Amino acid sequence: MKQKMFLLLCLFISGTVIAQSGQNKFTVLGDAEAKYTATKGESGFGEINFKPIFLWKISDKLFVESEIEIETGDGSVDVGLEYANMCYMVNPYLILHAGRFLPKFGAYRGRMGEAFINKFADDPAGFGDGGIGAMNETGVGALGGMPVGNMKLNYDFYISNGPQLLTDPENAGQFEYEAYTTNNKYSAVGGRIGILPFANSSLEIGYSFQNKSKTGDAETPYQNVGVNMEAVDLNYFHNIPAIASTIRVTGEFKYQKVDSATYYKDDQTPYSFKNVSTAYYASASIRPSLADSKILRNFELAGRYSFFNRPAEAPWGGSNVQQAEAAIDYWLHWNSVIKLCYFNQRGSNAAFSAQIVFGF
Amino acid sequence: MKKSIIIIFTSLLVVFSVILMNGCYESKKVADKSGAQLWAENCNRCHNAPAPGEFNNANWDIVGTHMQVRANFTKTEVDKVITFLKSTNTN
Repeated sequence: MKQKMFLLLCLFISGTVIAQSGQNKFTVLGDAEAKYTATKGESGFGEINFKPIFLWKISDKLFVESEIEIETGDGSVDVGLEYANMCYMVNPYLILHAGRFLPKFGAYRGRMGEAFINKFADDPAGFGDGGIGAMNETGVGALGGMPVGNMKLNYDFYISNGPQLLTDPENAGQFEYEAYTTNNKYSAVGGRIGILPFANSSLEIGYSFQNKSKTGDAETPYQNVGVNMEAVDLNYFHNIPAIASTIRVTGEFKYQKVDSATYYKDDQTPYSFKNVSTAYYASASIRPSLADSKILRNFELAGRYSFFNRPAEAPWGGSNVQQAEAAIDYWLHWNSVIKLCYFNQRGSNAAFSAQIVFGF
Repeated sequence: MKKSIIIIFTSLLVVFSVILMNGCYESKKVADKSGAQLWAENCNRCHNAPAPGEFNNANWDIVGTHMQVRANFTKTEVDKVITFLKSTNTN
């Protein structure tokens, strides 16, 4: 761990020196995060994260982006490679890329869920850890955007290692979505197409899919278990001068269907279940960004409802999860924010959470 | 692979092939957009728009390319936005 941290420190310092020395091909962005949570009988600070993003523009054609995540949410320091993506700019509308990347499966993970974008301190039900849908992929892809009259289309297609089926008694039927290596010789195919129907790009509607016909470990009875995922997302923002505010509405629906398989409990009892999950959220926020008062225009109010429908018979399933959350945010900078959130999950105690995010 | 996925995937490929072959037609209204307008529209799609002084000119080129990948900006959009940001940058 110390070696990893030392390596990261060296990379960070060398990058800063290069950036200042006039070579001008490298920069470091990212954010730092800290969270406070209070619920009945328990409170404290945690989830201190540091997420530097390293960017190299090697030439007009070649570009590398990489994010390292140093997180503490599991009770110890966890260093992970979020992405290391090598991009080749083929033409103004087409980019080919390879490496470990954030697939555009829906719009929350990897985009609207980033801490300096998300209005809340938490993820919607089914969209964070333990949720469903693609997270990180290793493979190759093509992406881009293009105008079509007054509209715009964007796309992202990829072939990757894809999710890996878990079969241990606690997690049977779930997936490892962030594996660094493959578990068999089969690949996943996925992609997203987004449509921005208005000329001012205020509305984006996206459809995503991912399919992998064989997700289990090679040469096991689970190898032939396939999975199909689909998602629909929406993002709309609009300035309303009459109330000196900007409103934003976002939402996403995800669906995941896994082929049937026989799993085994701790006592070796066989069982199977219908492994279909869905998750969705809807969120709205308002910020008086056009107000004369600088203090007032830095405030933002947000509300969100989310629902995670899990297989009732799965060892990790059971009851569905419903969450409602309200937040008051104060923007210290364009990418730095203090979030105060009230969180209510059906069947659980209400909770208060606060998060500080400093972007750099 | 599921039949529906194959149909969707093939349809998307056909659509994009046709669009690419037709040279990505954009209306005059879109073509005439200024860098300032594109900056306000595209940055705010996801997050607060950073001011021109947030990065130096060299870093704006790098950040612009990052957004081309992360947010599917076209090269034309990126070039216009970066030109605007550099023209008003005091750093």
